[in-house]
Amino acid sequence: MASFIDVRNLTKRYGDYLALDDVSIQVAEGEFLALLGPSGCGKTTLLRSIAGFIDQLDGEISIDCRSMADLPPNRRPVNTVFQNYALFPHMTVAENVAYGPRRNGESRQAAAALAEESLSTVGMLDFGKRFPEQLSGGQQQRVALARAIANRPKVLLLDEPLGALDLKLRKQMQIELKSLQQSLGMTFIFVTHDQEEALVMADRIAVMEAGRIVQIGSGEDIYHTPASRYVADFIGDANLIACEVEAGGTLRAEGGSLSLPVGHTAGVGDKVTYLVRPEAISVSARKPAVSDDDVGLEAVVTDIVFVGNAVRIYLEAAGVSLVCQMPSSSRAVDFARGQTVHAAWRRDSGQVLAR
Amino acid sequence: MRIRNFWAAILIALPLAFMLAFFLVPFLVTVVASFHDGEGEWTLANYAKIVADSYYPGIFYTTFKLSLIATIVSFLIGYPIAYYIVNMVKTRAVRRLCYVLVIMPLFTSNIVRSFGWLILLGRQGLVNQTLVALGIIERPIPILFTEAAIIIGLAYILVPFMVLTISSILQTIDRSLVEASLDLGSSRLSTFFHVTLPLSLPGVIGGSLIVFTLAVSAYVVPAIMSGGRVVVMAMPIFDNYATLFDFNFGAALAVGLLVVTLILIALYLLFIERSSRRRIARQA
Repeated sequence: MASFIDVRNLTKRYGDYLALDDVSIQVAEGEFLALLGPSGCGKTTLLRSIAGFIDQLDGEISIDCRSMADLPPNRRPVNTVFQNYALFPHMTVAENVAYGPRRNGESRQAAAALAEESLSTVGMLDFGKRFPEQLSGGQQQRVALARAIANRPKVLLLDEPLGALDLKLRKQMQIELKSLQQSLGMTFIFVTHDQEEALVMADRIAVMEAGRIVQIGSGEDIYHTPASRYVADFIGDANLIACEVEAGGTLRAEGGSLSLPVGHTAGVGDKVTYLVRPEAISVSARKPAVSDDDVGLEAVVTDIVFVGNAVRIYLEAAGVSLVCQMPSSSRAVDFARGQTVHAAWRRDSGQVLAR
Repeated sequence: MRIRNFWAAILIALPLAFMLAFFLVPFLVTVVASFHDGEGEWTLANYAKIVADSYYPGIFYTTFKLSLIATIVSFLIGYPIAYYIVNMVKTRAVRRLCYVLVIMPLFTSNIVRSFGWLILLGRQGLVNQTLVALGIIERPIPILFTEAAIIIGLAYILVPFMVLTISSILQTIDRSLVEASLDLGSSRLSTFFHVTLPLSLPGVIGGSLIVFTLAVSAYVVPAIMSGGRVVVMAMPIFDNYATLFDFNFGAALAVGLLVVTLILIALYLLFIERSSRRRIARQA
């Protein structure tokens, strides 16, 4: 069965540089997909390809079983919220939002009605007569959103729309965008370099690196079972320890004498990365009871950082640095620098990744 | 603080003195002269002479008509060139070359370039020959020494000013606005008329003001292109100063030209202001 959005073998070259390297992705109708990656990973190029702004593209894109190959941007069933909002400065807010319906052949009255509806959806109905320059960044962002949904597109493309907002507003908009997407039932493709944003909003996240999609899945999947060191590093905080597999199911950390008894037996002599999330590690002053299902080791506290809801404890164990995170409400975090402590985590919360 | 104020005053005083010496004083001298007769007595006779019969009003009319048409022609030629340079030329080096080509003619004297047109527009000139060869006209038509020749000459000289002013504004238009318009379902043509053109209006207004004022005060081009058969305001002004030595009447003609030009420009700007306000009012 064909997916709602079907992208196959998309490749885009700029000279020697591969902006998109054989990208294939399927998106279901009504899905909220995040394209996540650092700048230059090709996420915006992929989004612009779907919008129709990239020429000389190899591969296929179809939306709702219709090939987009020869369709110019103005004839595609998608609309975009641009990174800088791209509101028309010479038009009022109402004119901006009515622009799409008007150009698509709606009468002046019908376009105005659609614009009003869109503006009320984003809570900007009272601002119709203002000009974009008279609005704050957050308000402009809402208008850009209203303008993009006024055409009732099948797919809404969002290019880092929250990037210019301050943290508090950004968090509020994340929730609003998510509920807007659910109430509209529209398919959203959202480009971001902020992993938290992706986790908060998206049904699925596609992590991109150097023009390729390296992993795609739900936020939980990607966080708990990252496909590579790159993904693990990008999503959330992680202890990533470079190791070599030794006989007997232990990993020897490079640059230290630390041995990790994790029960990993395959490929003795292989160079791997061992991943354990900071919040999976518990730290205690007294040696805890460690079963075969646990990994326990002795470490020295090098630093303690209070970050509000949590406390980060930086440890050094036989030449290897570790960071642990515990809730700040926990009374067990009262350690001093230089103190010897015991760190422990369950074996199955650690993971061996290819390097 | 005191010293800083002192230097600030000097910095302001220098351009002020320059303006005073080279612009305001000569201007006031001209205005005062226009209200005097040959004996040095105050009089309005010079202005009365301008409106006494239809001769000078007729010249005013010709001057402004030709300037207006030359401005419109310059816009119609200059805008596509500016648009092409800014939006179609991809490489920076080629774009620079285009600007050089646009500016280059300005390095040559108006006289030389107008004489060039004399050769092209003559009865046996390239333009007539081509038109006859293409079968558009049967026999050579008189272009030279007509109003059309003046318009061609003025537009040719003034197009670069239009191109430079418009392209400087076109450059500032955010590309993503054009993309947003396309994205919202607007065709390229309709995007041009709804986004690019309205946003470039400041350039069009600025360019047309420059071109219009230059056209109104042009002397050399109309004189050569019309062979003196069509009279524009700059000619009697020049004659009164240079051949008749009637500085007072010449001054009155110059001031009259200035005042009428300023009134027309004010009306033009008022019209633009009004139409943009009407557009906003329509929204309300």
